[in-house]
Amino acid sequence: MTPSRFKKILLILAVVLAFGLPLVLRSPTYLHILIMLFLFAYMTTTWNLVGGFAGVLPLGHSVFVGIGAYTSTMLWLQWGISPWIGMIVGGLIAAAVGTLIGLPTLKMRGAYFALATMAFVEGIRVMVENIDKLGPFVLNGPRGLNIPPLPEGSLAAFQFASKEPYYYIILIMLLLVVGLTWRISRSKMGYLLMAGGEEPDAAQALGVNVTRYKVMAMALSSFLTALAGTFIAQLTLFIYPKSVLTLDLSFELAFIALIGGRGSIAGPILGALLLRPVSEFSRIYLSATLPGLHLIILGAILILVMLYQPRGLQEPITRFFDRLAARFGNGNGGTEEKA
Amino acid sequence: MLYYLQDVIDGVLMGSIYGLLALGLTLIFGVLKVINFAHGSFLMLGMYVAYWTVSLTGLHPYLSLILVVPAMFLFGYGFQKALVQPIFKAESDVREPITVIIVTTGVWYILDNLALLLFGPDYRALTPNPLKGKMLELGEIFISLPKLYGCISALVTAGALTWFLRATRTGRAIRAVSLDREAASLMGISQWRIFAVAMGIGTSIAGISGVALTPFYNVYPTVGVPFDVKCFVIVVLGGLGSIPGAMLGGVIIGLVESLGPVFMTATWTEAIVYGLFLLFLFVKPSGLFGVKYDW
Repeated sequence: MTPSRFKKILLILAVVLAFGLPLVLRSPTYLHILIMLFLFAYMTTTWNLVGGFAGVLPLGHSVFVGIGAYTSTMLWLQWGISPWIGMIVGGLIAAAVGTLIGLPTLKMRGAYFALATMAFVEGIRVMVENIDKLGPFVLNGPRGLNIPPLPEGSLAAFQFASKEPYYYIILIMLLLVVGLTWRISRSKMGYLLMAGGEEPDAAQALGVNVTRYKVMAMALSSFLTALAGTFIAQLTLFIYPKSVLTLDLSFELAFIALIGGRGSIAGPILGALLLRPVSEFSRIYLSATLPGLHLIILGAILILVMLYQPRGLQEPITRFFDRLAARFGNGNGGTEEKA
Repeated sequence: MLYYLQDVIDGVLMGSIYGLLALGLTLIFGVLKVINFAHGSFLMLGMYVAYWTVSLTGLHPYLSLILVVPAMFLFGYGFQKALVQPIFKAESDVREPITVIIVTTGVWYILDNLALLLFGPDYRALTPNPLKGKMLELGEIFISLPKLYGCISALVTAGALTWFLRATRTGRAIRAVSLDREAASLMGISQWRIFAVAMGIGTSIAGISGVALTPFYNVYPTVGVPFDVKCFVIVVLGGLGSIPGAMLGGVIIGLVESLGPVFMTATWTEAIVYGLFLLFLFVKPSGLFGVKYDW
């Protein structure tokens, strides 16, 4: 068994396990935690297309989550258009907005891009909070939008009576987006993007239109992030500006990616896998007695990882798996090669 | 007309204090080329130091500067040496390492929540406060005395900083490093020392803003957050790294905030601030006084 074969088998095992889990795990609470975990892994992976590969720091990706959530919900409430279609419409609007933010700012040094994305979220949030009606659409300002629940669920309405369908939808979305990232990272666009991210001047000198590729990555990332927004709206059936249009959410995505390891494919998933449970449990168990302690822990983890593992935690873990694979692959642990 | 004049004066006074805070941020940015996300938390820290000094000793609020300025300088100096410098050294090939932004964000989270843990979520008003509610009456115009003091501190600080950067050896070394690190190093300037000094000065300026704010603004653990975002807007508006830009940017934001509610609902004013910011970013990204060649 070769090392790469070993890794492939591990990967397939993990996917099979993920698909089989709801058959064993019947508790809706744990399923919900897993759904949130996959959701954050998905959003961080789409964040990573810009934040990882293009070498800039987007701090406003929640604006695309908000656009996705609000677009599909408004279309459903006002005109009864299926959220599945609204999802795509929201994605397209988000891609247009992402291009609009990216075009002027991605030309400049990183600090401007980080600040512009932040200001954009805050600006949009304040505006949504101030608008009750936008043309034919009801926005309800800070009170947000309720989607009337259909108790028996319906595929066309993107509503289900149990948690399992949501679990499978977000799992498939995550797998697709990870596959897409993998393809991009091995395509010409991916190489040019990384070249522009790491050595913009050198890439520019070699004739790469760095900004163009960054804007393309931004548009794609915005589109995919908005899809998660629709998913959140359909999962919670209630959205308001402070839930989907906040800096907190934007920062959390950046933190997960940076702790996991930005610019890698495993990083965002690993980051979500490590950070989500930590923040979930510390919030539940610590916040009552010691308010704010879970955020102190988060800040400390962030600083320690940046100081000692600036490429993220995926690096040592990948190394561990490589060694494991090499051991089994060299035949002293595996059986196939001896045969 | 008089009505507007009152708002204009309020806006200019408050805006100059915004400008003072932004001065620290823009200095740090000018030298390190990194946005310090913990700047608002440094303000919060300065406010708490001023608050405790005054409430424990009963001194005049502005006398707490004697403690706040050196304490905040040391804090900033240590922060740079302990947390930021190792990353700069590890990623010496990157001009503006993103990891530094993230470390400052981590420090922001830790400081704000440490304050929450230690002092609780209460909004604390300064006591004893000899400046409380004091007004200067000029005909029909009322000028808030604590805000006027804040404005004067801002002008004095900006003047002192300008003088320091122009006239002293260290000041000139700071400017040299912010223009070109390699060339400055070749001239025998230690960039690590300059980075730490700049961070120290920027942090103590945040402390001065804290002293200026406490007589009329409540202290609470997350007090830095709204100022943080405003500061980012101001430094981009004025031009990242520019001292007059920071002051003018602060006054513009102060005026928008004080005059905005006259013409529209107060909540829309906030949207105007961000709109102005994005407009500048798209139309004139170097800001009012920004250096052109660098960005």
